[in-house]
Amino acid sequence: MTTDVTEVTVEELAALMKKAAGVTVDPQELERRVDTPFGEFGLDSLGLLGIVGELENRHGRALPTDAERCKSPRAFLDLVNGALTTGA
Amino acid sequence: MSGRGTRHTAVTGLGVVAPNGLDADTYWKSVKEGASVLDRITREGCEHLPLRVAGEVRGFDPSALIEETFLVQTDKFTHFALAAADAALQDAGLSSSAADSPYSVGVVTAAGSGGGEFGQRELQKLWGQGSRFVGPYQSIAWFYAASTGQISIRKGFKGPCGVVASDEAGGLDAVAHAARAVHRGTEVVVVGAAEAPLAPYSGVCQLGYPELSTEADPDRAYRPFTAAACGFVPAEGGAVLVVEDLERARRRDAFVRATVAGHAATFTGASRWDRSREGLAHAIRGALDEAGCAPEEIDVVFADAMGIPEADRAEALALADALGPHGTRVPVTAPKTGIGRSYCGAPLLDIVAAVQAMEHGQIPPTPGVFDICHDIDLVTARPRPAELRTALVLSRGLMGSNAALVLRRGPGPAR
Amino acid sequence: MTRRVAVTGIGVVAPGGIGVPAFWDLLSNGRTATRGITLFDPAGLRSRIAAECDFDPLAHGLDIDVVERADRYIQFALVAAREAVADSGVDFAAEDPWRVAVSLGSAVGGTTRLEHDYVLVSERGQRWDVDHRAAEPQLHRAFSPSTLAADVAERFGAQGPVQTVSTGCTSGLDAVGYAFHTIEEGRADLCIAGASDSPISPITMACFDAIKATSPNNDDPEHASRPFDAQRDGFVMGEGAAVLVLEELEHARARGAHIYCEIGGYATFGNAYHMTGLTCEGLEMARAIDDTLDHARVDPTEIDYVNAHGSGTRQNDRHETAAVKKSLGAHAYDTPMSSIKSMVGHSLGAIGAIEVVACVLALARQVVPPTANYETPDPECDLDYVPRTARPRRLDNVLSVGSGFGGFQSAVLLTGPSGRRRR
Repeated sequence: MTTDVTEVTVEELAALMKKAAGVTVDPQELERRVDTPFGEFGLDSLGLLGIVGELENRHGRALPTDAERCKSPRAFLDLVNGALTTGA
Repeated sequence: MSGRGTRHTAVTGLGVVAPNGLDADTYWKSVKEGASVLDRITREGCEHLPLRVAGEVRGFDPSALIEETFLVQTDKFTHFALAAADAALQDAGLSSSAADSPYSVGVVTAAGSGGGEFGQRELQKLWGQGSRFVGPYQSIAWFYAASTGQISIRKGFKGPCGVVASDEAGGLDAVAHAARAVHRGTEVVVVGAAEAPLAPYSGVCQLGYPELSTEADPDRAYRPFTAAACGFVPAEGGAVLVVEDLERARRRDAFVRATVAGHAATFTGASRWDRSREGLAHAIRGALDEAGCAPEEIDVVFADAMGIPEADRAEALALADALGPHGTRVPVTAPKTGIGRSYCGAPLLDIVAAVQAMEHGQIPPTPGVFDICHDIDLVTARPRPAELRTALVLSRGLMGSNAALVLRRGPGPAR
Repeated sequence: MTRRVAVTGIGVVAPGGIGVPAFWDLLSNGRTATRGITLFDPAGLRSRIAAECDFDPLAHGLDIDVVERADRYIQFALVAAREAVADSGVDFAAEDPWRVAVSLGSAVGGTTRLEHDYVLVSERGQRWDVDHRAAEPQLHRAFSPSTLAADVAERFGAQGPVQTVSTGCTSGLDAVGYAFHTIEEGRADLCIAGASDSPISPITMACFDAIKATSPNNDDPEHASRPFDAQRDGFVMGEGAAVLVLEELEHARARGAHIYCEIGGYATFGNAYHMTGLTCEGLEMARAIDDTLDHARVDPTEIDYVNAHGSGTRQNDRHETAAVKKSLGAHAYDTPMSSIKSMVGHSLGAIGAIEVVACVLALARQVVPPTANYETPDPECDLDYVPRTARPRRLDNVLSVGSGFGGFQSAVLLTGPSGRRRR
């Protein structure tokens, strides 16, 4: 599976949080609280692993091993988008 | 004995998710009226199986009851258990914060089929798409311990937590396990069993049980104690109880709905129904002994009612063996013929029916069963009013377990 | 009068050796039995290593009809039970069958068979409405978790309380604990107790892959299970079974039985925290240890060895180290604590029972088994993990602890003959 989508957006992350972990969060709120720890949104380690797995399958490539250890939405998006856009 | 049995454990909360009712009162109303909700199986992917009739839980909306973060990581059997646990705690007037210490509340469940639907979905991803498509929740949703773990986490209960992964009789064993934990000093235990075996692959797995009814007519599919007995009908759902130390319940002015008075379990071999006579009789004697209860004190029996002629005969004879002449006189009932057997959940639902029967002074009938061909007083057609102080609940499992539990009527609401 | 519970027989089926002598040989020499998976083709998995049993059921005395009918994990249990029963010298045919119980644990039960048949009936995952005609006739036995205890009960004629315990990775410890309660509280005089699991199958390996709990060190499987070592990167899946014959002490004495040790206490608590996660503080495991010692009336300073859960995940190793320090206080630093998972892998529900048997042997031989592969200390795990080499030591009271998915935290105390005299 190849893809033209290179950036994971805040909207996409919010949708993934819902789908993979059952966490409902408004994308605008996620944008506003982008440095808030995932735990405060109710997202745990397994949920983040589910999101990582989903993104890996969507983009057909592995993400950095640190992806599931990211503490906040910003850290996660920075790492993931860095990897996806550089093709690392 | 050491006096560390099940005696003096109060039942203070009941929670039900059953094919005939999504709460304990609706369940009781249906049971009392002798309604049958057995029907052709409609679950997607099951319609072609030779398992035709089942007791399906209908109209259950987990999203209205349980947070989505719990729902995504759990199977239906855990959804049922979480909902029933909530109801039981509410009935008991307990919230997680009401405990003196998180360690004073334990959780015990019995499980006989696990998270089959969730597991099938993940197996399909693995074999249909590849291992990378298996999600992170498979490791915690399919296994038998899921419901105990999730109830404990959701409610913050850190007391002794256990799981009896068992055949049907394990439902009674779990209640005894909880009552014994109370005797060892745990104040409250949330205990129950709920099953969800009506998924396509789970259905296929059950087809191997020689006792499974494959009759297509819901009115004829599950008729224990009759000459037309042709096996049992599986069901989903179950019940959760709150049990607690009787003194503690009195201190907090709780409504003690019943007490768990005695239990015993035996084993006589898978599908060895002739031998279950001896096994069940031995279990009944053990439970009466622990309860300090004479056979004549038993006012009603909730039968296992397997629905196999040999098994039904064994159960009728076991009652006579263990209770003497009283065994043929005591009223016997099997409400499960109207809802099916939800494996470990079935005896829990019988406990709930027994508690409510004692409270209301009504023995519920055995739906759809007439023309009894055994020497027992099976209550049929309509409820029978009776003063009920003590109930005996029986259960046998397809893998050979027999269990008996004695319940005493509670003192009722605190004055 | 308090009833006491003795261990009078042990049996084990473990990676690297079937039977007690081979198992102890592996542990006491610090050898590892972890290797590349051979039971199926693991291509595509993140973790492709495991500790497998080289198990030939016919060579170990099982009849061909049992082999055809029973799942691998049940075969393990039958072989381990037979060894334990023979070791105990109990003539089960002469015992009151209603006083004989069975308590066996398994985390995933018949999953391997369930998956095997799923592939057949679903045309390799292509259809939801599976075709029952392709299923094997014994599939229901894999579906029912109680098959494990039932098969063992039937084999040895047990007619007392018979149960399968499934509390994730503490199943083995809890099965022994339930058996202990069953005898102590008078519901049986004898109990065949233990656990079995054979989880090395695609679905179970894949589900642990998905949460990155297993080691991806596929290039060096012999050294992949590294509990407490700073270089650890997850647990290595295992399989196997262990069974103990537990017996009311006077019953054992009356027949002149060899008594290995006594079960002094058992406790379990939930962490109510997370299905897979563990806290840094380990308070709930500490509570299980405290209650176990209280019940046994053993002081924390009397503990001579802790058999750790030691799975080799960073979270576990820190959790457990904190728990043991909280319960044993300063004495924790003087108490050797090792993980045999470094050698036999992590066989989920079975491992708790295998570890209890390791403790029984440690008491009998007065030797602490080592933590293999322990090379690089982790500053946050600063206890004595018995690196690589078994250590002779006077052992009277030995503690085995475990953690399981679902939040279960359990502990069992074993007390050897000299420890009993001391009390």
